[in-house]
Amino acid sequence: MAGKVSLFLAVSALLFWSFQGSEFSPGQFWRGIPQLFHFFGRMTPPDWSVWDVLLTSAVETLQTTIAGTFLGALFAYPLGVLAASNWTPIWVHLPIKAFMAFVRSIPLLLLALLFVSAVGLGPFPGVLALAVHSVGVLGRFVAEEIEATDPKPLLALQGTGASSLQIIQHGLIPQVLPQMVAHLAIRFEMNLRDSTILGLVGAGGLGFYVFLYVKQFQWQKSGVLVLAIIALVFAGEFAAWQVRKRLI
Amino acid sequence: MSKELVIQIENARVEMEGRTILSVEHFEVSRGERVAIIGNSGSGKTTLMRMLKGYVPCKEGKVVVMGDVFPITDPKKMKTHHRHIGMIHQHFDLIGRETVWQNVYHGRLGYVSLLKSVFGVCSERDLQICAQAIHEVHLEDKQRRFARTLSGGEQQRVAIARALAQEPTILLADEPVSSLDPALAEDIMDLLVSVCDAYDLTLMMSLHLPELARKYADRILAMKNGKIMWDGSSDSLSNDRICEIYEFMGTNGVVNGNGTRASRSAFTWPYGWQGQPLPGG
Ligand SMILES: Nc1ncnc2c1ncn2[C@@H]1O[C@H](COP(=O)(O)OP(=O)(O)OP(=O)(O)O)[C@@H](O)[C@H]1O
Ligand SMILES: [Mg+2]
Repeated sequence: MAGKVSLFLAVSALLFWSFQGSEFSPGQFWRGIPQLFHFFGRMTPPDWSVWDVLLTSAVETLQTTIAGTFLGALFAYPLGVLAASNWTPIWVHLPIKAFMAFVRSIPLLLLALLFVSAVGLGPFPGVLALAVHSVGVLGRFVAEEIEATDPKPLLALQGTGASSLQIIQHGLIPQVLPQMVAHLAIRFEMNLRDSTILGLVGAGGLGFYVFLYVKQFQWQKSGVLVLAIIALVFAGEFAAWQVRKRLI
Repeated sequence: MSKELVIQIENARVEMEGRTILSVEHFEVSRGERVAIIGNSGSGKTTLMRMLKGYVPCKEGKVVVMGDVFPITDPKKMKTHHRHIGMIHQHFDLIGRETVWQNVYHGRLGYVSLLKSVFGVCSERDLQICAQAIHEVHLEDKQRRFARTLSGGEQQRVAIARALAQEPTILLADEPVSSLDPALAEDIMDLLVSVCDAYDLTLMMSLHLPELARKYADRILAMKNGKIMWDGSSDSLSNDRICEIYEFMGTNGVVNGNGTRASRSAFTWPYGWQGQPLPGG
């Protein structure tokens, strides 16, 4: 009982501390609501004269996402296998796991900023950022999926005289493929969402023009691009859902 | 008639976590024999088979299987060793998302080069052997089904076919019928024994029911606490003796209910076998 009370007090204190520290103010929000509508109001009516920018940058965002996700997956799958603790000795899987955790801990925008300063403006640094980020996230899923696979059928395959690579091909891959594809679909969806804002740091795509037009106070043009982002993310989510539905 | 020895064990001992879990002073099996291993849970039946397969190393003593002296360190030799010994498991251990035919084909992997198996090249002979194995277990009409969609009895038949495709000399069956209902168990046992006759295989199986052991084996090995308590022809095993063997159920304090815990925790493949790193083979 005393434990529950002190837990309650501790959680309350934590919440109070957080809201206090983050200057939480319902009144300020309330007063800001008209401003919110005003902001959206300025975006309407959408100025469709930028349809060519919309089209090229939406395609660029899509291309960035596909290239980044593919590149990430290319490294994530083999690294994920090597990071599975029941497959490789500790001196192999531990450093790889640590590397992937390190990569995950870097915010995507920071990665993009890093690559922008390395290779210049445009979608290419975005591809690199998405790829590196995907290695960290996807690799971990791969490793966890492999660790959770029932090892006994694999042992039975080993018992037929199959070699390690044959066991991977005929035993492991069939067992984990559906989950792998499902994770890849989710990753694609998330990367699509993320790549729409990569433009904030100059890494191309729709986001770049949204911020460009906002900076130039061309609200009606940026409004069109915001709509495009919403539509694109929605389409990505739908596609990923279709893939997952088919697998499960 | 001089009998050819396929398994010879002399003073072998298996240790796990500092505890001796198997200690065999003397044990021999000659070609064509049908041996049943009985004994209560945790008595070391699975361990004995896993040792023969080379999954767990023995600390000392002499073990010779099909002329190969343990420990086998050469990966090539290990591969041949695996091919010699087909193994069937209590939970079938098939790849559920592959078809019956593919699972049977897995028995051929020890013969096929990596490159060929990657591109799915099957020789005429491989196809023929798989077809024959599937025919033996009467699963021709279910070849294209996914293994996980089959019933337990059918899955165990696939496992038998997979072992046959290996063209083994010895067949180890670890509680092959423990997850099946009694009527089906007899069917599978009949099948197992008949294919062993047809292919001239030496059969070693662990069974939970002494009646099955007496009916299907010509020699019975009784184990207790990692030691062989009794070894003789099945007719000479009296009921009193069986009571004695099963008397102290779980006295070693470790009751391994379905026999899965031990084998799971022991899994460190593929670098586990004598510490070979990936990629092996
Ligand atoms: N990897 C391991 N680490 C530690 N102990 C183990 C390991 N494998 C087996 N053992 C122990 O060895 C003993 C024999 O186990 P084994 O699985 O061979 O028994 P079994 O006769 O097959 O039993 P069951 O009838 O339940 O399958 C048990 O006490 C078990 O706990
Ligand atoms: Mg067992």
